[in-house]
Formats: sequence, C-alpha cells, structure tokens
Amino acid sequence: MANHHKTLVHKTKRVLGLFGDFDEAFEVIADIRRYKVPGLTVDDVTLKSPIEHPEIEDVLGERPSNVPKFAFWGSLFGLVFGFIFLASAQANFLAQPSGGKPIITIPSNIVLAYEMMILFGVLSTLVGFIIGAKLMRKRDGLYDTAITVDQIGIVIEVADEQEQPLKDLFAKHNVIEVHEETLS
Amino acid sequence: MPSLLGNIFKGWADYSKGVEEGGHHDYEHMFAMVIDLDRCTGCNACSTACYAENNLATVGEDKFGARQAMHWMRIERYFDEPDMDPDKDKVEPANETDTQSRGASFLPMMCQHCNAAPCEPVCPVGATYHTVDGLNAQVYNRCIGSRYCANNCPFRVRYFNFYENAESWPAPMDQQLNPDISVRTKGVMEKCSMCIQRTRAGRDAAKREGRDLKDGDIQTACQQTCPTSAILFGDLLDENSVVSKVWKRQQVKLGTYKQDKENSELRGYRIFEELNVDTKVLYLERVREV
Amino acid sequence: MSAQQNLANKHLTDEQTKDIDENIEWAKINADVLRSMENPRRGYWVAMAISVALFSVMIYAEVHQYIYGMGDAGLNTSHMWDLYISTFVFWIGMSHSGTLLSAILHLVHADWRKPIYRFAEAMTTFSLLTAGIFPVIHLGRVWNFYWVMPYVSDRGLWPNFRSPLIWDAFAITAYLTSSVLFLYIGMIPDLAICRDNAKGWRKKLYTWLSLGWRGDDAQWRNFRFTYLMIACLLIPLAVSVHSIVSMDFSMSIMPGWHVTTFPPYFVAGALYSGCAAIITLFILLRYFFKFEHFMTMPILDKVCKLTFVIAMVWTYLNLVEFASVWYGHDIPSKEVLLAKASGPYSPFFWGMMIFGSVLPFALLSKWVRRNMYVLFFVSVFLNVGMWLERWMIVTPTLSLGYHPQAFNVMWPGWVEWAMVGGSFGWFGMLFLVFVKVFPSVSMYEVKEMVYHRKRTVYEDVDEMMNLHSGVPGPVPGSPPTPAPQSTGGA
Repeated sequence: MANHHKTLVHKTKRVLGLFGDFDEAFEVIADIRRYKVPGLTVDDVTLKSPIEHPEIEDVLGERPSNVPKFAFWGSLFGLVFGFIFLASAQANFLAQPSGGKPIITIPSNIVLAYEMMILFGVLSTLVGFIIGAKLMRKRDGLYDTAITVDQIGIVIEVADEQEQPLKDLFAKHNVIEVHEETLS
Repeated sequence: MPSLLGNIFKGWADYSKGVEEGGHHDYEHMFAMVIDLDRCTGCNACSTACYAENNLATVGEDKFGARQAMHWMRIERYFDEPDMDPDKDKVEPANETDTQSRGASFLPMMCQHCNAAPCEPVCPVGATYHTVDGLNAQVYNRCIGSRYCANNCPFRVRYFNFYENAESWPAPMDQQLNPDISVRTKGVMEKCSMCIQRTRAGRDAAKREGRDLKDGDIQTACQQTCPTSAILFGDLLDENSVVSKVWKRQQVKLGTYKQDKENSELRGYRIFEELNVDTKVLYLERVREV
Repeated sequence: MSAQQNLANKHLTDEQTKDIDENIEWAKINADVLRSMENPRRGYWVAMAISVALFSVMIYAEVHQYIYGMGDAGLNTSHMWDLYISTFVFWIGMSHSGTLLSAILHLVHADWRKPIYRFAEAMTTFSLLTAGIFPVIHLGRVWNFYWVMPYVSDRGLWPNFRSPLIWDAFAITAYLTSSVLFLYIGMIPDLAICRDNAKGWRKKLYTWLSLGWRGDDAQWRNFRFTYLMIACLLIPLAVSVHSIVSMDFSMSIMPGWHVTTFPPYFVAGALYSGCAAIITLFILLRYFFKFEHFMTMPILDKVCKLTFVIAMVWTYLNLVEFASVWYGHDIPSKEVLLAKASGPYSPFFWGMMIFGSVLPFALLSKWVRRNMYVLFFVSVFLNVGMWLERWMIVTPTLSLGYHPQAFNVMWPGWVEWAMVGGSFGWFGMLFLVFVKVFPSVSMYEVKEMVYHRKRTVYEDVDEMMNLHSGVPGPVPGSPPTPAPQSTGGA
C-alpha cells in the first residue's frame, strides 16, 4: 500500500484545507508523511500559516533556504569592493596630502569598508529573501483571508483518485473548510 | 587617469620616505616665518596690511564683540596679573622685570601652516590640504562650511564667513579690493595663506626669467609693512635665506616636537610644540631683563 | 473571601505578572491593532497641528539662515559647532533603541519584546531621518551638501575619506537603509493582514507593499532567516554607527574631546536615551490606542528595568571619563572639566548629572513603574538629561580649548533653538503618519508570543496534574494532549 516511488501522477486539482487547531493540522501532515494517502508525499504539501512554525520543519522535510548564502557573499563583496573603491579614489589624488598622513589611509578605509560590508550584506539579504520566498510573483489562486487571522491552511496538489482520500483525512482531523481549484 | 596601482605604490613610497626624513614630502619650497617678539610693538600695522591685501571685511563693533571678526592676523595682548592683596588698600603694580616697560606683551598670531596640520584630514570634502610650497591651502570653491577644521585648530586661527561680508564694500568702496584674490561668499572658511597670491606671483616671475627663487623675491603683506622688521618670511629649503639661518641658529628643526638645544638661552620656540603639529612659524621670545 | 472575590483578585494578580494573557483571541489581536489605524479623532489632529507648527518654525529659521548666513545662530570663531551637532548626536542616539529591542533581544529570545518592538523600530527610522537633517543644515554652503557623497565627478574629485564626517555620512546611510529595510521586512506579514482587511487606497498600498505574502511555509522559512541575518548585521552596525559619530569628537585634538572612551560612552548614552523614549512612546500609544492587552504593565516593568541598567552603564562611563582626566596631568582637559562643573555652563552640566544619573533611581521603585503619569515625566526628563549631555560635550570644550585668546562663553541664537524644536516637530509628523498607516503593534509576533506561552502553560499544567492524580505523565517528546484552542470564526 505504501507507495515509495515518486510516480508521475497527473495532478488535476489543488486543495486547501483550513484548520483551527494547529495540532490537528500537524497530524495531517504527519499522516501524509506516513503515506496515509496513496501517491501523496510530504513534498507536495505547502503549509500556509499566520505565524512561523519552525517545529514543523522536521515533519515537512528538508527544504533549505538560500538566504544565509546571499548574506555572506553580499557582505564579502561589500567589504572588498568598498576597500578597493576607496583606495582607488584616494590614489587618484596624489596632489592632496593632508595632516602629515599618507594618501591611502588604512584606518579610515577599514571603517568605511566595514560600513559598506554591512550595507551590501543587508541589501543582498533582501534580494535573497525576495527570490527565495518567491515574492513579487503571480500568485496561485488558493488563499483565504482566515490564514492571516488564526487558521492554518494545508495546500496539496492532487490527482483525481487522491482527492477523496485526502478529504477524508482532512475530515478525520476536524477541518473547518475545504477549498479547491482546478489546475489548468 | 594615471594607473591605479602605480598611484597606490607611489603614494606609499612618498609616505615612507616622509616618515624616514622626519615627515617631509617632496616639497619644492618650505615657506616659513620668524617673528621676533622683542621687536614687536603691537602697532597692528601687519594686521591692517593683511586686511587690505586679502580683501578681509570689517564686520563692525557688535560682530567683533561677538567674535565673528575676520582678522587673519591678530595681535594678541598678554598682561601679567598685578599682585592683588585683599588686605592692602591699593593694587600693587606687577613686578617690572616681567612685563614690558609699559602695557602688555604682544604676539602676532596667524595660521602656523603646520606640516602635520590637524585641520587638514578632517575636512569632509578635502578643501584644505598641504601644497608643494609647504603651505596649508584653503580652497574656497570646495569648502562647504562644515567648520570641523576650525574646531580642530589649536591656535584658533581659522575664520568663517558667518555673514555675506561682501556687503562691507558698497560701491565705490569695492574699488579698493585686491584683484589678485577673491572675495569670499558666506559659508566659506578662510585663514592666512601667507599671501599665496604673492607667493605664486613670485614663483611664476622666477620661472619666467628662468632662474631660481631667491630670498627677498616674495614678501608677505605683513612682513612688508612691519615697521620694526619683526616678521621674516622665506624658504627653509633655501640654505641662504634669512629664515633658514635663524631657524638653524635657534636650533629648531622641523619634523620633531622635542628640540635638542645645546644652549638654553636661545630665544626661538614654536607655539604648542607638544601637540606635534609641526608648525612653521618660529617665535623669538621677548628679551627679559635679568 | 467569596469565590467571586477570589476570581477578581486572581485576575488582578495575573495582569500584574503575566507579560501577556495567553487566552487572548487571535482575531481580537487583529481587530484591536487594525482599529488603531482607523480615521483619527480630534486629539490626533491636535498633535499633528503642533508638529507641523514646530516644523514650520524650523523651515522659517532655515530660510533665514540660507539667505543671511550662519551668524544669527550665535556661532563665532571659538564656537564653530553648537546645538546643531549636539542635537544631531541626540537624534542618532535615540535611534539605537529600536535596534536594541528588535535585533539584540531577538537574538536572546526575549519574547516580551514582541508587542513593542514595532513602534521602537519605527522610532529608529524616524530618528535617523530627523538626525539626517542636521549635517545638511549645519553646513555653511548647504546647496553643496552632495559633495560629501562619493560620486564620479567630471573634475575627478572625491570626498576626503580621512574625515570622520565622511565616516558619518557612510555610516548613517548604511544604518538608515538597513533600519528601513528591517522595519519593512518585519512588517510584511502584518501588511498582508492589513491587505486582507482594507479597502480603497489602503488596499492598493498594502497589496503593493506586502509583495504577495501568502503565509507559505517556504515564505516563513526564508523570512525567519532573513530576519535573523539582518538582525545579526544590524547589531554591529548600530554599535559602529554611534562609535563613528563619537569619532567626530574623539578624532579631534581638542581637550575634553580627544577621549578614547567616547565610542562606548556614546553607544551607552544612545541606548539610554532610546530606552527612555521607548517608555514615553509606550505610555502614549497604550493610552491613546487602548493597547492595554498587548503593551502590558509587566512589559513596561521590564523596559524600565532595562533602562535603569543602561543608565548605570552610562553613569559609569561618564564618571570614568572624569576620573581619567583627574588622574592625568593634561592641564587643558582638567580645565575643561572644571569649567563644566563650575563655569558658566555648570547649571546644565549638573542638570545632566541629576537627570542622567540620579533620576533613573526612581525606576527602581515599583510604584513609579506602575504609575503611568509619573513614569511619563520621568522618561521625558531622562531624555532632557541626555540632550543636555550632548550639549555639554560640545560647548564647554569649544569655550576653552588650548588657546587662551579663544576663551569665549556663547549662548545659542534663536535660529538654533528654532531648529532644535523643529526637529521634534518633524519627528512627530513622521511618527503620527506612521501610526495611522502602518500597524504599530506587530500582530503576527503577538500571536507567536501567545501561541508559545499557551503551549508552555498547558505542558506544565498537564505534567503537574498528571503527577498529582497518579496517572503516568505524558511521554516527553510527544505532542501535548490537545486543549481547546481559540478559533476565529468556525
């Protein structure tokens, strides 16, 4: 009964189940992970929630985020680019010594390169966030404003034969509402 | 634009050489001054000449009292405090040997053109820098008036245009202005430039005639006007100039703040030497009676 | 006591000890905060009118200064800097509290910050916007202010990167950008809530700003990392920004300024004035928007204690600076210190010491921490003390300095006072607009706080009850037995 292969089943519908009780919703995901609905794996599940749930990560499976990489490389770029930019701007003006100090002053360049590092780090983190969270894209149709109040939603793409077992699973765990839309 | 790496290496080479040679860059000249406080009578002729030569505005009594005046060269007066004994009925005059025979001690103070000037690195736009003549230059066009340089000057010889001082010369008084130097607008910092218009004119004349600059070619306005010749101006890099001879005789060297003097009776000193700003005005102490 | 009284007292005790009521309904959280953004009543318009009036005075003063020069500000050859710089430092200082609350307390998982960090972060952004006015208007030639920016010019000129004022420009630009982004990103889930409940121009605004937030787990996961990354970047930035501002003074050679403890001293002062401002705004928002359920007394209690601790750090660094001057033989510095304490500016110096070091002891009293009226005035005077501190850093040094001929006592002119007052008007304007357009309490974070507190309560209670009744306790690691949760609209 447990179908361990990822068979390419033609998905026809997207189903959203809204739950008031968060523990029930997590149970649904745990059941899907245990293959209670044939053909559906936990990778097909998207959780929509009003608050973050890091505790569900184990059940939902490995879904890494790229944001720390963006932050790291952006900061490094800011540091190096900052220093080179400043040193080259100073180096172009050899006619202007001041205060008995060298033309390319390392301490001031360190301070400024540090600031550039953080500025570029923050900007690239923002870029990483928008890309990773897939914001600013055309949205899928299924959404209920109750998600921003206090209900949690589970969205799964299903094939025809998986639809009823899924809805039964939902009903078993006290689903409040079920929405669906047909995939084009 | 010259090559970036080449400039970085050249800048480093100049700096290291400067460190080894006691803080000097590749200077063409090193203009400096000597002011003999024994000869100074406090007549203020130098200050007046500076007003005339450099288009300095007279701000009026109220603003002068509010310390918003523009005198690049100022004569400072120092009085010794008389003995004040509350038990006595009258105030005793101060000990005669410590003061001048009548009145105060005078000290002409203007920009000291420090080789390690604290005003130079703090300007946000780089409007003040050290020229190849060894002078501290103020670029009026570049100054945005943040006034950090004035705060950092321990001698307080930088003056800011708090008002539109050009209004001090209504027509036809503007005929008296020196055409060789600009009239500064409000919001710009200014200070003694050791008559840079005369310095540049003198150097240009020497170059045109195909000869080296010699001592006496350039005279600053204050030096020219001083009736007692208390002010001497010249090039320290020229061994034959009067100022370099006086500096050598007084055993004062550039690039250090601890002067090694063999003779403690020598009169020459620099003001605030312990701040290590490497000033280029040598003051000769007033001769006191023993 | 009757059962009725027991219940009444129990409620009282809970309200005084619990940071938040974990039984609060989530829909109520949404409703309360969204209600604060409705059309304003008369009191709001009065506050807005006052702010606009103050700001207009500032505009008038700046126009006067633009046309006639800086003389009427009272500046002279000795006092080249005065209230502009000290107010600039004051506003930068006030901006550090938001970072403290949002970023630092986030890293240490202090969840009591959740209902209050939103307006604190807004206060950071607007303090920076207010502070950013001063480096521009204090310039003699304001119209050339853009020369401090490193742009490719046809003359090949760059700003002088050795100058601490340029470090200021870079640091404040980085800090302002980062703070605005931090505030904005942290607001995205809340903007989604606003979007779902808005109509008209607001709906368009929130739809555009919330960037299509749906609450997907991928979005939340990326959000969590983004918030953490920016918090980690923002904390060293905040420390460095105020250190760099302090270097405007400590990198100069003037006595009383050339002090190596200035960077930590300024940062401590910044956190101090920021926390005091948080208390002020906390009391105002709680009163006017009736946020008693979120901005509870226990949270205010914690903020007061935090303020006291930071006040003591600031006091220590202040006294250490005096001690090092006393210990050394630097005569100009000693004279500056003595002039501060006994010279013409001494009333303001002692005002600073009393408001900054003595007044915070009032925060130790539980009665003061519970009494909103007294606490409001205490926090305002703490900030007055901090403003005086900045003034006493700038002016006494300039009135003495090294050269005796430069000794001068100067009092600020009307232009300066107008600018200082006007800056408060500008800040007020920005903040008042903010509280009506954006949620000043973070709704999703309050829900998180309630959620986690509820789980903790029920887990503990479960264990306790099972232990007493002899039933074997729940196996550690298994989810707790479901208890009735509050639902929205079933």
